[in-house]
Amino acid sequence: MKLSTEKRDDIFLMTLKGKIMGGPESAQFHQALKDAIAKGERKAVLDLGGVEWMNSSGLGLLISGFTTLRNAGGEMKLARATEKIQSLLIITKLITVFETHDTVDAAVASF
Amino acid sequence: MSANSAPDFAEIAERLAELGRLSQQTADSLRDGHANPEQLQLLLEVSREALKGAAVLELVSEADRKRQENETFFHIGLKLSSALEPDELLRTIVESLRRIVDYDAAGILLVNRATNRVDEDFLLGYERSDSQRLQKKFKSSVPIGKGLVGWVVQHGEPVVVPDVSVDERYIRARDATRSEIAVPIISGTEVVGCLNLESDQLGRFSERDLGPLRTFASLVSVVLDRAHFHREMMDKKRLEEELSVARRIQLSFLPVTMPNFEPFDLGGMNFPTLEVGGDYYDFIPITPTDLGVAIGDVASKGVGAAILMASLRASLRLESRSNYAISTILRKVNDFLFDATSPERFVTAFYGVIDRRNKVLTYSNAGHNPPFIVRARQAIPLDTGGLLMGSFQNVGYQEARVDLRPGDVIVFYTDGVTEARNEHGEEFGVDRLLDLVRAYKDLGAMDMVRRICREVQRFESDDFLQDDLTLSIVKWQ
Repeated sequence: MKLSTEKRDDIFLMTLKGKIMGGPESAQFHQALKDAIAKGERKAVLDLGGVEWMNSSGLGLLISGFTTLRNAGGEMKLARATEKIQSLLIITKLITVFETHDTVDAAVASF
Repeated sequence: MSANSAPDFAEIAERLAELGRLSQQTADSLRDGHANPEQLQLLLEVSREALKGAAVLELVSEADRKRQENETFFHIGLKLSSALEPDELLRTIVESLRRIVDYDAAGILLVNRATNRVDEDFLLGYERSDSQRLQKKFKSSVPIGKGLVGWVVQHGEPVVVPDVSVDERYIRARDATRSEIAVPIISGTEVVGCLNLESDQLGRFSERDLGPLRTFASLVSVVLDRAHFHREMMDKKRLEEELSVARRIQLSFLPVTMPNFEPFDLGGMNFPTLEVGGDYYDFIPITPTDLGVAIGDVASKGVGAAILMASLRASLRLESRSNYAISTILRKVNDFLFDATSPERFVTAFYGVIDRRNKVLTYSNAGHNPPFIVRARQAIPLDTGGLLMGSFQNVGYQEARVDLRPGDVIVFYTDGVTEARNEHGEEFGVDRLLDLVRAYKDLGAMDMVRRICREVQRFESDDFLQDDLTLSIVKWQ
């Protein structure tokens, strides 16, 4: 799993790449999110375009990221979910909770 | 002969007389200052002999020291091969060292890479207050590069300091110390610490002490490496024990025998991975005519997953005996799991009740891979329900009713079946599963499960991380 973050206007953009398997790796993701929230960030977009594979623990990472932001009064939206992630979101019905967009620009513009 | 040296001669003569090497008369003459030249010549010769003897003695004592060293090393070697605790071994090493290099205080200090300091690990001969002075607490440490110890660690070289008061590297840790010697402790090519000896006498240590001290430092290094290895073994063992507990929890919750529920035939199997996931399936007799069927998958592995699975099973079994609608049961189970776990831990589960009198299945699916009713060429996904459980509060679930027909096969599975991957990275998928259900539809439910699981395992490549594999089947005969 690789994580990079950047600021686009008032949006906190996080990009995940590689295999998302949750577990110990997710600490880095949670730390980045916590730091951003501490700095006042409330609008986040998670770009999943470069994710090769994701298991259920990886899904847990998305859920806790979403919950963390929502508990802080913010929102996290997903962009470029791959077909595999899309199907996971449909099966688990998370699609009813997460807002997903086909492009990062669309996700950023939706706030 | 000067006046100063006369008593010295007299003293030597007296000693030699005591040893029987010189006559008492000669000694007396020398003491009284009227020895004749013959007597002086005799003293000279005897003294020369004695000096030779001393040189021999020196050699003897050197040999004795070597023998002592060898004996000590042998003794420590024996202890090393026993199963003593590392602290006990370090104590043995430091105490044995005293037989070869005498000291008043000794310390083993280890490099702490996280803090870039050298921390005391084992001390002998230091008073509490001495050490406290260094750091205001008993466990003292110095930065790498500071003090004699810090210098040794930084340079990987020993120091011999005959007078600490004139060495500017010295930091006082013990009031009585006058001289000091320290060697690096090396593991492989890395300096991992320092073996340090202090003496209350000036010039107590010499270069000659470095040899045995280095050998002792290497013994310390062996003990430390072994302790490290031992700790890793213990951690591994603890993890294995934890997993075996989890595995036992998981196994104890799976059906051992299938209930008799004619005209329906039941079968189910679970293959946990080595890591222990949290797959669960269940057949719950509710009334003589109603049978609960459940399958679930806990995200995450190990004991945490096993406990969450236990919670799912307990709450589902408890609620299933109530008269609540299935959608209400799932809502209650979700609330229970939500309170019990953090959001990233969740469960996907399917729960349904088969009414054998009316041949109806009522169910709700909480984010689980949809079971299918395989009916001739049809495969009806059972996907009505709501969100996965445990991550969100106040989730509403929907339920659905399906009329069953003779010959129907209901297949329940976890993603370990459909996401099993072959050497090309290709997933087993739902279509392969449904094809197999059709191919084996004339077999009994348990045989179908067994055959299909075998096919999945044959398909699955060892190259990929494997998940728990769970499959259950309800078949109307």
